[in-house]
Amino acid sequence: MVDLIQTLGAGLLIGIVYGLLGLGIVVIFRASEAFNFAIGEFLVIGSFLFYIFFFDLHLPFFLALPLGLVASGAAGALIERLSIKPLLGRSALSMTIITLGLASMLRASVQLIFGAHSYSFFLELPDLSLELGNLLFPSERVWAGLLSIIAFGFILFFLFRTRWGVAIRATSESQSKAMAFGIDARFILLMVWALSAMSIAVAGVMISNFGALSYMTGIAGLRAIPVVLIGGMDSIGGALIGGLIVGLCEALVGSYIEPLGLVGFKDVAPYLLLLIVLFIRPYGLFGTVRIERV
Amino acid sequence: MLSVENLRVVYHDVISILNGVSFKAPGGEISVIIGANGAGKTTLLRAISGMLDLYDGDVIEGDIKVGDSSILGLDSTDIIRKYGLTYVMEDRPVFWYLTIEENLAAAAYSRWDGAVKMDMEKVFGYFPVLRNLRSQKAGYTSGGEQQMLAIGMSLMTRPKIILFDEPSLGLAPLITEELFRIIQQLNREGMTIVLVEQNAHAALGIGHRGCVLENGRVVLEGSAEALLENEDVREFYLGAGAKQRRSYQDAKRYKRRKRWL
Repeated sequence: MVDLIQTLGAGLLIGIVYGLLGLGIVVIFRASEAFNFAIGEFLVIGSFLFYIFFFDLHLPFFLALPLGLVASGAAGALIERLSIKPLLGRSALSMTIITLGLASMLRASVQLIFGAHSYSFFLELPDLSLELGNLLFPSERVWAGLLSIIAFGFILFFLFRTRWGVAIRATSESQSKAMAFGIDARFILLMVWALSAMSIAVAGVMISNFGALSYMTGIAGLRAIPVVLIGGMDSIGGALIGGLIVGLCEALVGSYIEPLGLVGFKDVAPYLLLLIVLFIRPYGLFGTVRIERV
Repeated sequence: MLSVENLRVVYHDVISILNGVSFKAPGGEISVIIGANGAGKTTLLRAISGMLDLYDGDVIEGDIKVGDSSILGLDSTDIIRKYGLTYVMEDRPVFWYLTIEENLAAAAYSRWDGAVKMDMEKVFGYFPVLRNLRSQKAGYTSGGEQQMLAIGMSLMTRPKIILFDEPSLGLAPLITEELFRIIQQLNREGMTIVLVEQNAHAALGIGHRGCVLENGRVVLEGSAEALLENEDVREFYLGAGAKQRRSYQDAKRYKRRKRWL
C-alpha cells in the first residue's frame, strides 16, 4: 500500500512537468494547427540558456530562472521569425514538416556549441523533501512539480485574463477574422512561439535537474507526444490531465511491471495507453467538442 | 472619402477577379454595391481592407485611396489603426469559442486607450440583446445575434469607414430590417458605409448611391433612387419588371449595352 501511494505521488509530480511540456505543444497547435516536433531541442536550448545564467554567471536561482525564460522566449521568437513566419497562409502540414528539419538543425547546433558531453546540473534549492512515515518524495521532484504548476498557472492567467490572451485565442480560432478586426496575426504567432518556448524551458530545467544536461536530454521532450494526443491536441486542460495520466502510467509500470523482467517497458507503456485512448476517443480525452449550431 | 481607381486583382497569379474597378464612396454616405455571385464584391472589399495577402491575391494595377493617401499595400492592422477603416466579413465573423464580451475585447485589441469599457456599453446600447448574453459563447447564439455582435465588434475598432459584406446573409427579413436600421443610424452619426448586398431592394432603400458589379467591372452606377428605377437593375437584381420570358435576343441586347458602359 505504501508502495502504491509512493508510486502514485511520484507519477503525479512528474506528470505535472509532462503537462507543461504538453502545453508547449498545445498553444502552438491551437494557434497554427502545426505540431512542433522540435520540442526536445527547445527543451535543451531552454535548459542551456538557464545553465549559462545560473552556473556560468552565478546568478541567484530566482533571478537566473526568469532571465533564462526570457532568453528562451526570445530564442523561440527568433526561430519562429526565421522558419515559420515565411509559411503564414500555407498549410499547417508544411509548418509541421519544417519543425522536423528544425529539430535536426537545432540538435546539431547545440552539439556544435556546447559539445556532446554531459553538464552536471544540480540546483541547490531549499530542501523540500517530503517524508511521511515510509513515504519519501525527493526534493528535486517536489520542486519540479511545484514550479511546473506555478508556470502552468501563469500561462493560464496570461491566456484567459489578459488582452494578449484574448487575442491569441481569437487568432487560434480564425486568422482571417482576427486580422479583419485589427489583430496582428503574425505578431500573435510570434508571441505564441515565445510562450511555448518558455513553458518548455521550465519543464526542461526541471527535467535536467533530475540528472545531467546534454544535447540528448531532448529525448525527454518526446513524452509530450502521448501527453497531447491523450489529452486532446487543442485542449489546455487536456494537456495537464494527459500529463498526469502519462506520469502515473509511467510510474505504475516502472514499479509493478518492469520488475517482472520487462526492462524499458515504462517508455512504451504511455504509447500503448495512447492507442487505447485513440480507439475510444479519436480526438483525445478533451479534444474540442466542435460547436454545432442546430 | 474612399476611392478605388481602376483596380485589378488576381488570385494565385492567374485567376483574374477584378478587371479594372473604379468606384467612389463619398464621406458620410451609404454606398451600396450589388452584383451576382462571383462578380468580385468580396474581393473588392478584401482588397480595400488589406486582407488579400491571406487569400493569396495580388493587386496588379490600380490604386485605393482614403482621402488623398493611398492605402494600397498596407496590411489590415495598419489600415484599421491609421485610417479607421474596418471590414466586417461575410457570414458573421465572430469568434465562436469566445464569449460575447471577449469577442468585443478582442476586436478592441488594436487600441490602447482606456475607453474600451465605455465603447462596450455603447455597443450594448445599440444591441440591448447582447448585454444579457455577454458571458455566453458566441457560437451558441443565434444568427441575428451573431451579426449584431459582428457589427458591435467593428464598432470597437472606432471606425470612420465600415465595409459590410452581406450583413443580411441567412437572416430573417425582420432581423435584416433591424440591422439595416442600425446601419442607417451609424451613418447618421457620421460614419461612411460601404454595403455589399444580394438583398438589393433593401440595401438600395437605405443607400445614397450604388453601383452594380459584374465580372469584375462596374457596369452601372448612380444614385440609389436612379438604380431602383433602372430597368435592367429592376429586371436582373430586383426580380421585378418584365414577367414574361425574355427572348435570347433581349439578353444579348443587355450584354451588348453592358460592354459599352
